[in-house]
Amino acid sequence: MLRVAIDIGGTFTDVVAETPEGMRSVKVLTSADAPERAALDGVARLLAQLDKTHADISDIVHGTTLATNALIERRGAKTAFITTHGFRDVLAMRTEKRFDQYALNITLPAPLVPRPLRLGLRERVLADGAVLIAPDEREIETLAALLRAEQVEAIAIGFLHAYKNSTHENMVAARLRQLLGNDITICQSAEVAGEIREYDRFSTVCANAYVRPLMSRYIGHLQDKLREAGFSGALLMMLSDGALTTVEQAARFPVRLIEGGPAGGVALAAHVAREVGSDRTLSLDIGGTTAKICFIEKGTPKTSRRFEVARAWRDVKGSGLPVKIPTVELVEIGAGGGSIAAVDRLGRLQVGPQSAGSEPGPAAYGRGGTQATITDAHITIGTIAAEGFAGGMIALDPALASKAVARDIQTPLQLEDPASAAAGIIELADETMANAARVHGIELGLDVAGFDLLVSGGGGAVHATRIAEKLGIRRVIVPQDAGVGSAVGFLRSPVAFETVVSVVEPLSEVDATALVDRLRRVMAEVTTVVETVVPAQNITHRLTAELRYKGQGYELSLPLDAASADAIAGLAARFEEEYEQQIGFTLKDIAIELISLSVTAREKRLRTAARPLEVQPCQAKAQPHIRAIFERSAANPLPFKVIPRESLNGQAMSGPAIISEAQTTTVVRPGWHARRGDQGHLVLERNR
Amino acid sequence: MSAPLDIVAQNVLWNRLISVCEEQANALMRAAFGAIVREAGDLSAGVFNADGQMLAQAVTGTPGHVNTMAASVRAMLDFIPPQDLSPGDALVTNDPWLGAGHVFDFVVVTPVFMGAQIVGYLASTSHIVDVGGRGWSAEGRSVFEEGVTIPVMRLRRQSALNEDLLRIVTTNSRVPHEARGDILSLLTCNDTGATRLLDLMAEYDLGDLNAISDFIFDRSRAGTRRALMRAPEGVYESALRLDGYDTPIELRASMRVHKGRIEVDLAGSSPSVDRGINCPLNYATAYAAFGIRALLAPDIPNNHASLEAIAITAPPGLVVSAERPSPVTARHVIGQALPDLMLGCLEQALPGEVLAESAGALWTMSLSGAGFTSLNVALGGMGARPGLDGLSTTAFPSGVGAVPVEAAEVAAPLIYHAKEFAPDTGGAGQYRGGLGQRIEIGAREAQDLSLSAAAFERLTTGPAGRQGGQAGAAGRVEITNGTQITDKGIYEIPAGERLILQTPGGGGFGNPAHRDREAVLRDLSDGLISEEAAATLYQHDPNGRTTK
Repeated sequence: MLRVAIDIGGTFTDVVAETPEGMRSVKVLTSADAPERAALDGVARLLAQLDKTHADISDIVHGTTLATNALIERRGAKTAFITTHGFRDVLAMRTEKRFDQYALNITLPAPLVPRPLRLGLRERVLADGAVLIAPDEREIETLAALLRAEQVEAIAIGFLHAYKNSTHENMVAARLRQLLGNDITICQSAEVAGEIREYDRFSTVCANAYVRPLMSRYIGHLQDKLREAGFSGALLMMLSDGALTTVEQAARFPVRLIEGGPAGGVALAAHVAREVGSDRTLSLDIGGTTAKICFIEKGTPKTSRRFEVARAWRDVKGSGLPVKIPTVELVEIGAGGGSIAAVDRLGRLQVGPQSAGSEPGPAAYGRGGTQATITDAHITIGTIAAEGFAGGMIALDPALASKAVARDIQTPLQLEDPASAAAGIIELADETMANAARVHGIELGLDVAGFDLLVSGGGGAVHATRIAEKLGIRRVIVPQDAGVGSAVGFLRSPVAFETVVSVVEPLSEVDATALVDRLRRVMAEVTTVVETVVPAQNITHRLTAELRYKGQGYELSLPLDAASADAIAGLAARFEEEYEQQIGFTLKDIAIELISLSVTAREKRLRTAARPLEVQPCQAKAQPHIRAIFERSAANPLPFKVIPRESLNGQAMSGPAIISEAQTTTVVRPGWHARRGDQGHLVLERNR
Repeated sequence: MSAPLDIVAQNVLWNRLISVCEEQANALMRAAFGAIVREAGDLSAGVFNADGQMLAQAVTGTPGHVNTMAASVRAMLDFIPPQDLSPGDALVTNDPWLGAGHVFDFVVVTPVFMGAQIVGYLASTSHIVDVGGRGWSAEGRSVFEEGVTIPVMRLRRQSALNEDLLRIVTTNSRVPHEARGDILSLLTCNDTGATRLLDLMAEYDLGDLNAISDFIFDRSRAGTRRALMRAPEGVYESALRLDGYDTPIELRASMRVHKGRIEVDLAGSSPSVDRGINCPLNYATAYAAFGIRALLAPDIPNNHASLEAIAITAPPGLVVSAERPSPVTARHVIGQALPDLMLGCLEQALPGEVLAESAGALWTMSLSGAGFTSLNVALGGMGARPGLDGLSTTAFPSGVGAVPVEAAEVAAPLIYHAKEFAPDTGGAGQYRGGLGQRIEIGAREAQDLSLSAAAFERLTTGPAGRQGGQAGAAGRVEITNGTQITDKGIYEIPAGERLILQTPGGGGFGNPAHRDREAVLRDLSDGLISEEAAATLYQHDPNGRTTK
C-alpha cells in the first residue's frame, strides 16, 4: 500500500508517494483555474512511474494554499455578515489602532464583507450569557428576503458574547436555513472561533464563510475524481497547526487550512528532529523572499491561536485580517536569497524586506534585476558557485553580482573591496535572522542557546553555522533532500482536531462541575472528528488552560492533566509558579482568571518513515577541490574544501568546508565539523 | 580595549540595541494591568549611554512616553548623581515635570554596571492604573489633588526593594495590588534589558558604549538634518483653537526652519488654567516633536541626536508649559493637539504635502458606578492624507486602540448599545477625512453612573481640512435625559439613561468636487455619506452620471 501527499503551492504542485521501498515524488505546475487537475495529474503520473493504481493508495494527505490565495486575491464568495444591531462596523473599525506610529500613509485591508451587506439584527446577549433582547422572527424573515434579493452565496453570523451563549446564533442560522434552503453557506462565530474579543471572532467567521463555498466545491471535486479513479482510502487535509483532519471538517472550517503548507514544512522539521534525537529544535527555513522560524520541543512544534492573513501594508504585523485558528507559531522575516541590500539615508546598511524574488531575481541571474541581493553577496564572496546553481537550472554571472554589490554597498560605505561589502551584507542578514530567533525565543520563554538549529529552504544551509554561532547553538541539522519538504511533512503529521472553550472567569468562581461537563462534551466532539479515521485506542487527548492575573492582557498556557475538578483546582498554584519563572515575581491578592481551555483529540502513534528519501544522483560532476571564500573576521579569503554531499559518510569532516548538492550549499565554517547521519541528514557540530 | 568595530558591526550593534528595547517593552506590555496600557502600548523603554543620552528606544509606545523619557534620565540623575549609585540600585519618579506629564506615569531608571563603572542606563515608563487623588478627571485644582507624587528616589537600593515607597503608593491607590505589579514590572523589564546589554557588550568585547554612541549620534544627526532640510527655510506660524475646560484655549506656534534645525516657540498660547488639562513643557515637546518627525523624518530612529535637532520652547505658565502646581491629569488634551499645530506650520512650508487635522486628543471615557470604574477610549477620525482618505475611528497622533466591547463588558457592568460609524462626520474633500463614531452606553443594572468628560475635546470646532478640504464634524456628547455635555467636568447619568457620544471626524483634503466619482458612489452606497452631503458637498448628481 501507498501513502500519497499532495502539496498545492502558488507555482508548483508536489506529489509524493511513500512506499515500503522509499519515497518518490513529482513536481507539476499548479493549475490555478482548477487546482485539482494538476493534483490528479501528478498522482496519476506518480502511480504510473510506480506501476501502481489508485486502489493501491491507503490514504492521501493534502495541503493547499487555495483558501489563503482566495483571501489575498479576494476571490471568495459574495458574503453577508449578520451581527448585533449597532455593531455592523466592527469589521471595518478593526482594533482602531495605527500599527506603525510614524507611517502616516498606512492602508488597511478592506473588510471581506462590504458595508451594505453587514446587517444588524436586534438581539443582545450580555457578558454573562444572559439574554437582554431575543431575536424577532419577523426581522429574520426580512433579512432573509434581503439576502435572497442580493443573491449572497454565504452568510456569516456573529453576535456579541456568542462565545458565552450561542443560542441566538444557532436560532438565526436554523431559521435562515429553513428560509433560504440548503445551498447557501451559513457559518456561526461561536462554532468557528468561540473566543472573546468580537473583532477577531467576527473576522474569523467572515473569512470562513468567504472561502467555504470555494473550498467545499474544490474538496468535493477532488474527492469525487479520486473515487472515480478507484481510490477508496481516506482523504485527509493538512491544518495550520500541523495536524490532519477529515475532508468533512476541512470543508466546514476551511479557514483552518490557511497555513497548511508552511505547517507541512514544520511537520517535516519536527519529524527530522525526532529522527536525529533532537529534543529542542529551532527550525529555520530560508527561501527566496523570507525566512521562517519555528520552535519545536520534543518533536512538537509550538502553536498559537491567532494568525494574520493578507497583510495590506509591507507585511507589517497588524495590517492583515486576523483569524483565530490553531496554527504553528511561525515568525516570518523579510530576509531570503532575493532580499535586496541597500544603504539607507542614515548611511546604514539594510537587508530586506524588499526582495527581488525569483523574477527579476538577483543581479547575477541577468534577468533584469540590478540591485544587490543576499544571493549576489554569496556569489561575490564565493559561498555559492556559479556552476551548478539550482541543479544547473539557472545560469549565474558572478561579474553582475560583484558589480551590483560594489555599486550599491561598497562605494556608499567606502569599503575596501566588493568582497568586504558582500561579507557585510551576509553578516547583517545572519544577524537579522539570528535576532528574530532570539527575540521569538524570549517571547516564548525559551533559551535559544540550548536548541539545535534545523535548516531548510535554498538558503538555510548557507547561513546555518554563522547564525548558530550568533545564538550560541552548537549543533546544526541539514535534512536530507528537503525540496518537497511540505508534502513529506504531511505524511509525518498526526490526525488531530482542536476546539476552544471560552471561560473568562476568576478561577475561584469557576463552577468546576459545570466546566468539567462542558469539557467532556467538547472532548467527545473532537474525538468524533478524529475517530472517523483513527481507531479509538490510538487517540489521545490534550487539554491546555490559558490563565492570567485579572486585569492583564497576557495569558500563560498550562497543560491540564485531566478534565477533572481537581486538575482545575490545581491550576492556581501552577500558574503562580510559571509566572514567577517567566516574569520574575508573583502578585498575591490578585485573582487569577481562567480565560479558556483548548481541547485536542490527537492520533497517538505517529507514522514513521519507511525509508530515507531517495537520494538524487548529483548532476554536477563536482570534484573535491579547494575554493577561496572571503571570511569577514579574517578580512581575507580562506581556503574551503568543496565536497559533494553524497560522498560524505559517517566520518566527521572539519571545516572550513563547503558541502554541495543540487538544491543548496552547506557552509561548514572554521570551528565546525560535519558528518552525514544514517538517515542522510547532515549533522554539523561546533568543535569543543 | 578591543579593536574598533567596523561599519557593519556597528550597524549590527545599533539594530541589537533597538531590539533590547523592544524586548523590554514587550515584557512590560505583557505584565501591564491597565487595559489601555496593553491595548495601546502606553509605555516606553530605552537604552541610554553613561552620560544619560538616549541611544535607542522601543518602536512600541506612544509619543508622549517615547519622547519624554529621552529627557527623564538626565533630569533624574541631576537629583541623584551617578557617583552615588551602586550596582542593584534603581531610581523612580512619577513627577509630571520629570517624567511623562502626569502622576499616572512612572519612570524607572536602572544603571548598568560593568565592574565598578556605570556603562549605561535602562529606562522604562508606563501608566499605572491609579495613584490616588481624584483619579481620572480634570477636576483637580492643583497637582496636589491629582494623586501621590514620588520625587526622584531609589526604588531599589543595591538589591533591597524600597518597600516603604511601595507602601506609600499602594496605600494611596484604589487598586493597590495592580499598582504594585505595574511598578515591579518596570523594574524587572529594566533588569532584563540590563542583562541583554551586558551580554551584547561581552559578545562584541566592548568596555563602554562610547564608540557606538558616536556612531549612532553622528548618523542620526546628519540624517535628521538632511530630512528636516526638506522643509524650506523660513518662519511659519499657525494657530488652533480648542474648547478648553469651559472656555476656549488658543494654541500658537512660530516655527523657524533654519540650517537643518527646527525651533518652535509656543509663545502666544493661552495661559494655564485651573483644571487638569494643562500640559507640562516636556510632554508638549514630546508631541510637537512627534508631529514634525512623523512628517519629515519618519524613518530615523528615536535617540538623543535625532531629537536634538528639534527644539520646542515656551514662556513658563502657559497651557503648553504649565508649572507646578498646575493640575495636569488630562494633559493629553493639549499635548495631542500639538502635532496638528506643527503640521499647520509645515503646511506653509510644504503646501499640499501635509495631512488634514485629525480628531486629536483621545476621548478617554471614564465611567464609574457602585464599586467599579471603567476606562476606555472613543476614537475619532484621522485627517485625510494627500492621496488617501483619512483612517476612520483611528487615533492620531496617539496610537491607542479601543478596548473591545466584549472585554469592556466583562470588566464592568456596562452595556454598549451601539458602536458604529457616524455618517457625514468625515470632512469632505478630494480625499475624505476619517469618520467619527457613535457610541451608546448604559449601565447594566439600574444604577447611576458618573462620567468624567475631561478629555472630550473638539465639541465646538471640527478638525480643519487642507487644500480646499472641509472640516470634519465636531464631536457631540449627550445623555438621553437631554443633558448636553459642554465642558470637561463630571456628569451624572441617572439610572435608566444612556450616554451617547459622537466623536469628531477628520478634516478633508482637497476640493470635494474633485473627488473620484467612484469613491463618492461607494461612500454613498456604504452609507458613509448622506444623499444630501453627496449632492451639496460633492456635487454628485444622482441622475446625471449613472448609466443604466
